[in-house]
Amino acid sequence: MSAVLTGHCHCGAIRVEFEPGKPVAELPLRACQCGFCRRHGSRTTSDPASRLHIEVAPGALTRYRFGRRATDALICADCGVYVASLIEVEGRAFATLNVAGVGFEAFADRTPEPAVYDYETDEAKLARRLSRWTPTVLVETSPSA
Amino acid sequence: MSLEGFTWRAGGCHCGGVRFEVALPEVVEAQTCNCSMCAKSGFIHIIVPESRFRVTKGMERLAEYTFNTRVAKHLFCAECGIKSFYRPRSNPDGWSVNARCLDEAAKLDLSAFDGQNWEANADQLAHLSLEPS
Repeated sequence: MSAVLTGHCHCGAIRVEFEPGKPVAELPLRACQCGFCRRHGSRTTSDPASRLHIEVAPGALTRYRFGRRATDALICADCGVYVASLIEVEGRAFATLNVAGVGFEAFADRTPEPAVYDYETDEAKLARRLSRWTPTVLVETSPSA
Repeated sequence: MSLEGFTWRAGGCHCGGVRFEVALPEVVEAQTCNCSMCAKSGFIHIIVPESRFRVTKGMERLAEYTFNTRVAKHLFCAECGIKSFYRPRSNPDGWSVNARCLDEAAKLDLSAFDGQNWEANADQLAHLSLEPS
């Protein structure tokens, strides 16, 4: 099993650990062509056999919804970096991770595959996300009392 | 000062809350950057003097982030996180506009700026914020 990859947004308020379920070189790298991802320069990976843990400092999470409003884009409220997009289905969370935003060097030299999802139905979008995205735990830490 | 040869082009963040206009020539000098901030925000720089840039909507929606020397004022939309423009440390008298945020893609003359060695390279950018004569 490949070693756990760790990273964070620019200011460090959102930190991630990605446990690869396969060799990192075999994980996909995508450049979604939607208006949101293009503006953020997103480079994303996801894998249903991997695991993602996201930990957010108190007050540092902005959730942004657009388009079909089915997913939360997770953005650092302090430095503006886009970290991941997340869906929650029946109490379980799945995400696609912006490896550029969290600075995963293992992907730095790779060319991403352009990805266009504009013409998917809502059902097809959900099915794709459930089959491709990474099972995820999102923890928002509370200020200590 | 004359803006002859420049055309005002519009752009903005994703949610529409922040809008700007920038006066650009037909072919636009632009830079990618490998510094810690630009690598994470995917910023493509179009550096212009003050007179060639204006915010048309949403100044109040901008959040500001600074680090290290705190000279650069990194501005992003508080709702969608998009960094449409900011005050760069290399050109604090001008603006750096994100080519990714133009409504219509500009014809870019793109070069790679080595922001990991910022001190050695920043003077290459100084001329970009000079006012048109």
